[in-house]
Amino acid sequence: MRVSKILGMALENLKQRKLRTSLTTLGVVIGITSIIGLASLGEGFRIEIRDRMQQGFELNNLTIIPGSLFAGLSRQRFTDDDVQTISKISGVETVTQVMQIGNMTLYNGNRSVQAFVATAVNFTEFIQIFSDRFIFESSMPLATYKNDTITIGYKVNHPSENDTRPFAVANDSIVSTLAIPYLEPIPHVEMQNYTFAVGGTLQQKGTPGITNFDYWVFIPLETAREIYKTVESDLIFVRVHDPEKSEEIAKDIEKLFPPFRITILVPLTFIKQVDNILNIVQLFLIAIASISLLVAGIGIMNIMTVSVMERTREIGILKAIGATSRTVLTMFLAEAMLVGLIGGLIGIFTGYGVSYGLAYALSRFIHPQQDTTFQNPAQPQRLTITPAFAPEWTIAAFAFAIIICIIFGLYPARKASKLNPVEALRYE
Amino acid sequence: MSVSDMAPILDVRQVKKSYRMGKVLVPALSGVSFDVQEGEFLTIFGPSGSGKSTLLHLLGGLDRPDEGEILVDGANILKLNDSNLAELRLNKIGFVFQFFNLLPRLTALGNVELPLTIAGVSDGETIDRAKEMLKLVGLETRENHRPYELSGGEQQRVAIARAFITNPKIILADEPTGNLDTKTGLEIVQLMKKLNKEKGQTFIVVTHDPRIAEQADRTIYLKDGLIEDIKEAETARGTMR
Repeated sequence: MRVSKILGMALENLKQRKLRTSLTTLGVVIGITSIIGLASLGEGFRIEIRDRMQQGFELNNLTIIPGSLFAGLSRQRFTDDDVQTISKISGVETVTQVMQIGNMTLYNGNRSVQAFVATAVNFTEFIQIFSDRFIFESSMPLATYKNDTITIGYKVNHPSENDTRPFAVANDSIVSTLAIPYLEPIPHVEMQNYTFAVGGTLQQKGTPGITNFDYWVFIPLETAREIYKTVESDLIFVRVHDPEKSEEIAKDIEKLFPPFRITILVPLTFIKQVDNILNIVQLFLIAIASISLLVAGIGIMNIMTVSVMERTREIGILKAIGATSRTVLTMFLAEAMLVGLIGGLIGIFTGYGVSYGLAYALSRFIHPQQDTTFQNPAQPQRLTITPAFAPEWTIAAFAFAIIICIIFGLYPARKASKLNPVEALRYE
Repeated sequence: MSVSDMAPILDVRQVKKSYRMGKVLVPALSGVSFDVQEGEFLTIFGPSGSGKSTLLHLLGGLDRPDEGEILVDGANILKLNDSNLAELRLNKIGFVFQFFNLLPRLTALGNVELPLTIAGVSDGETIDRAKEMLKLVGLETRENHRPYELSGGEQQRVAIARAFITNPKIILADEPTGNLDTKTGLEIVQLMKKLNKEKGQTFIVVTHDPRIAEQADRTIYLKDGLIEDIKEAETARGTMR
């Protein structure tokens, strides 16, 4: 029997039992709708989170800190040699070291501000690495920077939201008080005043990753080395050419140091881990949705078993006039497959609709907290999830619908095909 | 060469068949032998429970005998697998049933087309031949009617047309007039006789209607699963073993 005829007859049989067919198909529609809906929403959610994280992390930049969280008894600081060796690794664009000074108080005339993070940097290298965030509000040309130049972060320069006047602008001369430790004659700390020229003030840039420059002030590394009488530094920042290779480069850097001597923060690793978790969550959701398709499959088996019983005589007639068991099997399987096909097609469209509806509802009613740094109140920002329809997911869901229907149709179809024609013809 | 010298179209040798009814084995046929020549119009006559229908099902390859042999146009049905049996039913045998056994959702034309559809014949040829068959049984104006829109006699004509469409060598009819009034029953018998004469097909008709038996070339009388008698009309062509 020709395939087109078998399909035509199957369709005709389904049309004869419209209500029954509709209800059976509805099960498949619901199953596919849930799968497509959850898969596309999950994918959209994942993309949204990844985008947000990519905005929050500078994927090109690695941060190296001395010691490790659990084996950090000897937090040996970094030297120029360390920076030199790291800079020779292939794929590394720029390497810079930073000395952390702690907090400092700044005076400009009769105004004073507190900077919580004072750092000593090589401005040229530092700006190369953080070009996206080290943007001036007011500045002198970089070439005119001397060893008494200071750069001030936005929140330090604008400490009060009520006072729009900046604390300082470029070229201002300001005084800062630094706590200098002395070991001799007995270990003690002395407060000493230093005069700096403001080389620039920074624009507000928020909190990408772990460093929020809004609260930082920067002085030249050479100056800090003279003041603190040390050539060691606390952090190394590395900029790599290709963020995709950042994990590889981090491994190369780790090999240069003894175990647990350093910790490297690789944004890509973190993003990948979060992405993996989201992947698992998404698969879990799809697995739950698939259960509804299984239930639909059982519905199909149930209905088809009843249908085979009702059509026993018809099967007997078909066999008497020459239909093989295989033909009967194929006819019933074709009906099951058509239910999957129709249900799957409708389910894809309703799935798209449902995921857009849910995405809209979620975007409208969920306001995630963000920017929770201590001086910066959280701003409500809408979560915008756009459902993402991966064609492979859609095709897989569609194929899954058909396969489930065929698998569950197999038992009743086999039952039909194995009927003894004489008994089938006698069936009332 | 005389007709009786030719190889029979049907050869039945010592056929036995029992059915299991719960725990009891009920014999339906207890050793039946006869043959049928091509073009013969044979009736199998007997009361209810004599094994007529069982015999017909065995002849049509719907079932297999427990013992004995049945050769249909030379093919031993015991040696054919299910698929070959289906092929035999499709190509060599046409069935006509007491209760017509038409598919209710198909039109008269659709029902007649069915065997050719199963055989995979092209749509054009199927439709042409089905229309030709309906014309042959005088139902050319009823082709788009569904079975429930047709009278009993008309439904049986559709069934005959369906049995004829593959041009089988043997037509097996199980009480074809059993569900019809006397007049319509007679018309159906006359139609079958006419087709037997014109087309030359072999007819084996199971009946307990003596008027059909009167029309036959030969009548086999069955009782309790055994052949009680074989009566031949003047033009008889078959032989009893």
